[in-house]
Amino acid sequence: MLSYILRRLGAGLLLLAVVTMVTFAIFYVVPRWAGRSVEQLATMYVGRAPTAEAIAATVERLGLDRPVVVQFGEFVRGIFLGAEYRFGRETIECSAPCLGYSFQTYQEVFPEIVARLPVTVSLAVGAGILWLVGGIAVGVVSAVWKGSLFDRAAMAIALTGVSLPVFFTGLLILAFPVHSWGWFDTPRYVPFTEDPWGWAEGMFLPWITLAFLHAAMYARQTRAGMLEVLGEDYIRTARAKGLNERSVVLKHALRPTLTPIVTIFGLDLGLVLGGAVLTEQVFSLNGIGRYAVSAITQSDLPVILGVTLFGAVFIVVCNLLVDLLYPLVDPRVRIR
Amino acid sequence: MGATASSEPVVRVNDLRVTFPTADGDVQAVKGLSFEVPAGGALGIVGESGSGKSVTSLALMGLHRGSRARITGLVEVAGTDIRHASGKELRRMRGNDIAMVFQDPMQSLHPQYTIGNQLVEALRVHRPGTSRSEARRRAVGALDRVGIPQPEKRVNSYPHEFSGGMRQRVVIAMGLMCGPKVLLADEPTTALDVTVQAQVLDLLDELRRDLGMALILVSHDLAVVAGSVDEVVVMRHGEAVERGDVRTVLSAPEHPYTQALLAAVPRVEVSRAQRRAQDRADRAAKAGSTGSGTEGRASDVAASAVGSRGEGQSEPLLSVRDVAQRFKVRGGAWGRSTDFWAVKGVSFDLYRGETLGVVGESGSGKSTLSRTVMRLLEPTRGRVVFDGRDITHMKERELRPLRRDVQMVFQSPYSSLNPRLTVGDAIGTALRVQGERDTRKIRVRVQELLERVGLEPGHYNRFPHAFSGGQRQRIAIARALILKPKLIICDEPVSALDVSTQDQVLRLLSELQDDFGLTYIFVAHDLAVVRQVSDRVLVMRKGEVVESGDSDSVYENPQSEYTRQLLAAAPVLDPDRAREHRAERLRMRAGSA
Repeated sequence: MLSYILRRLGAGLLLLAVVTMVTFAIFYVVPRWAGRSVEQLATMYVGRAPTAEAIAATVERLGLDRPVVVQFGEFVRGIFLGAEYRFGRETIECSAPCLGYSFQTYQEVFPEIVARLPVTVSLAVGAGILWLVGGIAVGVVSAVWKGSLFDRAAMAIALTGVSLPVFFTGLLILAFPVHSWGWFDTPRYVPFTEDPWGWAEGMFLPWITLAFLHAAMYARQTRAGMLEVLGEDYIRTARAKGLNERSVVLKHALRPTLTPIVTIFGLDLGLVLGGAVLTEQVFSLNGIGRYAVSAITQSDLPVILGVTLFGAVFIVVCNLLVDLLYPLVDPRVRIR
Repeated sequence: MGATASSEPVVRVNDLRVTFPTADGDVQAVKGLSFEVPAGGALGIVGESGSGKSVTSLALMGLHRGSRARITGLVEVAGTDIRHASGKELRRMRGNDIAMVFQDPMQSLHPQYTIGNQLVEALRVHRPGTSRSEARRRAVGALDRVGIPQPEKRVNSYPHEFSGGMRQRVVIAMGLMCGPKVLLADEPTTALDVTVQAQVLDLLDELRRDLGMALILVSHDLAVVAGSVDEVVVMRHGEAVERGDVRTVLSAPEHPYTQALLAAVPRVEVSRAQRRAQDRADRAAKAGSTGSGTEGRASDVAASAVGSRGEGQSEPLLSVRDVAQRFKVRGGAWGRSTDFWAVKGVSFDLYRGETLGVVGESGSGKSTLSRTVMRLLEPTRGRVVFDGRDITHMKERELRPLRRDVQMVFQSPYSSLNPRLTVGDAIGTALRVQGERDTRKIRVRVQELLERVGLEPGHYNRFPHAFSGGQRQRIAIARALILKPKLIICDEPVSALDVSTQDQVLRLLSELQDDFGLTYIFVAHDLAVVRQVSDRVLVMRKGEVVESGDSDSVYENPQSEYTRQLLAAAPVLDPDRAREHRAERLRMRAGSA
C-alpha cells in the first residue's frame, strides 16, 4: 500500500516535471524558433514607452537573454528554494514555492493563485456534488423506466446539456432569471467563512450552470452502465432470491454502475479545480480560470506557467485519490 | 428417505406455452409443456440449445415478469399459481419455496459484496425478524453444509476469491438458506471441469436426499442427469418429445429424437477402433445409397495430400522433448514479476496419420502446450522438431513457410471467425497470403472444400452470422484445410457444440483424416470425446503429463491416481452405473480425507 502510494507520487512528480517543461518550452522556446528576437519578446512587457534602454532593462530584468536551459533551471530552483528578483536597485524576495513574477502586475504568481483558490474550489466542489448526485439520480431513473416519458425527456435534455456550451447557458441564466425576472441577485463570491448562506446564494447559479453540462454526461453514462448491469447474471440471482426491485436496483445494480463513474469524476473534478474558465468568465468570478484567461490575453508567461502547473497538480492528486479509493468501491481491485 | 414421493406434487406444469413477440412475428419458445415433480423427487429436463429448457426454468421462477414474454397454461410451485400471483407473492415464493442455481458461477454472484453478505440477505429478505448474528450463523452453517472449508473464515470472502466449483457451492448454499421445497438447477455444471462437475452433482444428490427437497436438473447433457434424477423430460423445439422414468428413457427410448440424441453422446467405454469402424461403416452405407459422386473427388484431393497412415514410420512428424513454457506474472511489490510455469517439461512423438489426444482440466496447460507446439509461443526450454526441422527457436521469418503445414481449429466457432469477412474470404485469405493471385482459382478451391466439409458452394459469399455453431466449426475446419497442412491442432473443437452437432463434427474430422491422411493433436477436457478420436493420449495436470500411452490402455488400465479420478468423474449414461460411479467417488474422497 505505502509502496504503491510512493510509486504513484513519484510518477505524479515526473508528470508534473514534464508538464512544466512542455509549458515552458511552448512559451519561451517556440517564439524563438518562430524568429522572434529577445528584444521583440521584451517589447511586450516593457510598458508604455518602448525605448531602447527600457527594452534592454526589461531583457535584463526578466533574464530573457540567458540560455533557455538556465532560465528553466532558475524557474525550477525558484519552486523549491525561492528566488530573488532585482528591479533596478530594489531586490524582492520570492519565497519558495516561487512560481515567478507576473510580467504585467509585478506580483508574485503563487500568492495570487492561492488568493483565488477559494473561489475556484467553491465553484468546483459545489458543482461537482450537484452534477454527481443529479446525473446519477436521473440516469438510474431513466434506466429503470427505460422508454418511459421521463426517460425520453431526460435524455433529450441531457443531449441538449451536452451540446450547449457554458457561455450560452450561463448567459441565458443571467439574462432571464437574473435580469429580466429578478429572481436572483447577480452571482458573486462571498467567502464561506464570512457568510455561509450568502456564499451558497451567490454561487448557486454558477453551480447550476457548470453542473448542467456535466450532469448531462453523467446521466447518459449512468443510464448506459445501469442498463448493462441490469442484464448481468447476478441481477437475475438477486431477483431469484426474492428481493424487491428497490433492493435489486439500489443495492445490487447501482454499485457496479458507479465504479467507472467514480473514475471519470476524479478526472473531471481535477479539471474543474484547475479553473472553470468559461463559468468563471461568464459570472465574473475572480477564480483561477479567470486569472488564466487574463494572463493569456496579456501574454503573461509566468502566470500562464503557474496556472498550468497548478491545474496539473490537481489532476494528478484527484487521480491518485480515485485510485486509492477504488478498492473500497470494487473489492476485486487490490492495491500493491 | 427424502426420495419417497408423496401424492401431492410440489411443482405442477400443465400445457405451458411461452411466446416472445419479435419483429418477425411471434416465436414460440415453449409449446405446451407438462410435467410434475413430487415432493422430494428429482426431474431432469434435457434438450439442446434452443429447445426451450431455460425459458421453462425462468417461467418456474416467474422471472419472465416485466419482459415481453407471453405465458399461458398452468405453472404451480408449492401451491402458488405463478402466472396469477401478485408481485409480492412471487417474491415471497422465490428463494423460500423454490431456489435457483444458475449456469455460470463466475457471473451469478455479485462481485462487490462478500458471500456472507449475499447469503445473509437471502435469509433476511424472507425472515426479516432474524438478527444479523443469527443470519450469519445460518450462513456459516449453509457453507459448511455444501462443503466450503473453513466456513467461518470464508464467509467474509468475495466471490473472486473462490474457484468456479466453490462458487457454485456458494450459490447452492445461498439457495439452501430458507430451506426451499424445490431446488432448480439450470445447467449447474456446464461451466465446470469434469471432476468438479461430479462433485457438484454429488452434492446436489446428497442435499436432495438429506433435506427432502425436490430437484429439477436442467441440462443439455443426458449423461449429466442420468445418475441424479428419477424422471426425465426430453425437449426439442419447445416440446417434450419424451417423458418418463430415467431408466426406461435411457435404456429403451421411444422417440427417434431421443434415440438420435443417445446415439450422439460420446461414451467413454467406446474405443477409438470401435468408433472408427462404426463411422466407416456408416459412411460406406451412406455412400452406397447416394452414389459416390463426392467420394471420387475427395480421393483425388487425398492423392495430393501427405502419405497414408502407417505405424511403421521411423521418423515422427512432430517430436517434442522436455518442452516447458514460463509466463511472467506481474504483481509483486514494486512491479516485480513472479514466474508461472504453464507447461513443465512435456515430451511426446507424433507420427503421420495419427491423432494425439491431450486431456486435462482448466489450468492443466493443454492449450499452452498446443500454442507452444505451433510456435505461437517460443518455448522457454526444450526442443520442438517438426518434419525433421528444429523449430524451437526459429525466427518468425523462417517459420512463415512452415506455417502452412500446421493449422489450428479453435474452441469458439463464434469468435474465431471474423464477422465482417465472407466465408469465402475467411477461407481463401490463407491461399492469398501464401501467394496465390488467381481469384478464380481460389474461388474454385474454396468451394470444393466447402462441399467437402458438408456445406454448399453457394455459401461462398455469406457472412458467418448466417451459420449455426456447428456450421461455423465446419467453416473453421475448411479454413484449416485449405493449405493442405500436415498437422492440425484442434483446441476444444467441439466443447461449445450441442451433442448431436458435436457428433457430426467429430465424424467429419475422422472422415477427413481418412481421406487426406491428416495428423491431429486433439485437445479437450471431455474424456469420452478424446478416447474416441485419439490413438494415443496425454493426460495433463498443472503443466505436467501425469500419464501417457496408447488410448485404450490409458482408459482401460489407468496407472495414475489422477487418471482414475477423472474416469470416475466422467458422466455415464447408464443410471445404475452412474450411481456406482458416485459410490466409487465417495469412497475415493473418504480415502483421501
